Amino acid sequence: MIIRETKRMQPPSELCQETAAYFQQLEQDRDAAQDAYKHILRTMDTALAANNYALLEELIPYIESGDGQLAFQYIGKTQRFLRMLHIIALENKYRLPSFCADCDNASDMWDKYMLTLFAFRRLIFQLSDRSTEEAVVYLRSRPLSHFAAYMLTQDGRLIPDRKLYENIAAVYAQEWNPADTQQFFALAGLS
Amino acid sequence: MNDHKFAFIICTNDDLLLEESLHYIDHLAVPDGYGTELLTIKDAPCMTGGYNEAMLASDAKYKIYMHQDVFILNRYILQDLLSVFSGDPQIGMIGLVGAEKVAADGVMWHTHRTGNIYTCPPLAPHPPLSDYRYSPREGWEYVAMIDGFFMATCQDLPWNTEKLDGWDYYDVYQSMRFLAEGYRIAVPCQRHPWCVHDDNGLLNLFHYDRYRQIFMQDYRQFLGKTWEEVMAQFSRCTKKPSHK
Repeated sequence: MIIRETKRMQPPSELCQETAAYFQQLEQDRDAAQDAYKHILRTMDTALAANNYALLEELIPYIESGDGQLAFQYIGKTQRFLRMLHIIALENKYRLPSFCADCDNASDMWDKYMLTLFAFRRLIFQLSDRSTEEAVVYLRSRPLSHFAAYMLTQDGRLIPDRKLYENIAAVYAQEWNPADTQQFFALAGLS
Repeated sequence: MNDHKFAFIICTNDDLLLEESLHYIDHLAVPDGYGTELLTIKDAPCMTGGYNEAMLASDAKYKIYMHQDVFILNRYILQDLLSVFSGDPQIGMIGLVGAEKVAADGVMWHTHRTGNIYTCPPLAPHPPLSDYRYSPREGWEYVAMIDGFFMATCQDLPWNTEKLDGWDYYDVYQSMRFLAEGYRIAVPCQRHPWCVHDDNGLLNLFHYDRYRQIFMQDYRQFLGKTWEEVMAQFSRCTKKPSHK
């Protein structure tokens, strides 16, 4: 929500100039940012349809240091897509089942990410037994690697605590081997 | 007008977010003797158009205009809103994040903001939801404008469809509208945030500047002013800003 921190001490004229410059730059970057975002979506669609993980991974440098930086800078969804790509790369490296294994396109993958995030939130907030149970059922129906689970807990709109990590580990007790669980807690700083 | 009814009004284009948002609404405690209704607007031409349509369609005195990506955490929010509204009959609108002043550059988050929102890292560790209760003794702050992710009203004032044909600035204009009509706008002091706003961490600002420029023209005399100064200035004006 915040594109820049509060600048209470800044003189109004300076603030106005800086804001005008920001929006001028945004206007200049708009088309390139939108094109880059479209490229990211198209590439993900192609890669996911063909299970081409190498192509997916090529998007990481594109977003982090290539033309895709503009999409990252201005279009919020890009930041979450980048997190997903890092998850997939990590899983690929360690030969774990992929986060995107059951996703046919970018939209599927987005939905999976968001539904998992929603489920984690429900584990945190414990609105009701039904709410929590639905979350557990969802998570068990679409298993995650311990890397994916950990990286999802690092989403900026989630505040993980020890209880959440323990609950997630309990949900995946049948899926993860003891080393996975141990590494999950280590990543969370709970080892 | 039904004085004992709340309407949740949400413009939506994403079923996934909407469904989750409604899941949190379903868990709210409804004060005794009160009812709720939900109005969702799909394919609205613009935020103000969708909100006007819903506003006219509902007889609820209390209307909560919120984004589809807002998840309400404070289970007792409806009672708490009633407490704030009844604490000062001049309050016409309540937000969860607001600004005491109209920003000099028209950008709300470039001025000191008040309220609370679920962010990582948290301002303070959050207790389990069930343990958190707001007390009216904690009070509220008056502001010049509130953020549109959550706007609760007890007065129906039309949203400005004439100037605002997109998805930005409807909150700022509506805030000015309430002040112009002599209503105060409040943001409750929240020891812990009353909601999560999952906006992907980044606003889409591609069209924002267009409306900012219009706002800067329309409300030039109010830039940098506090809510009190704005209200005082409006009360001295015989001609109020036009709103359709």
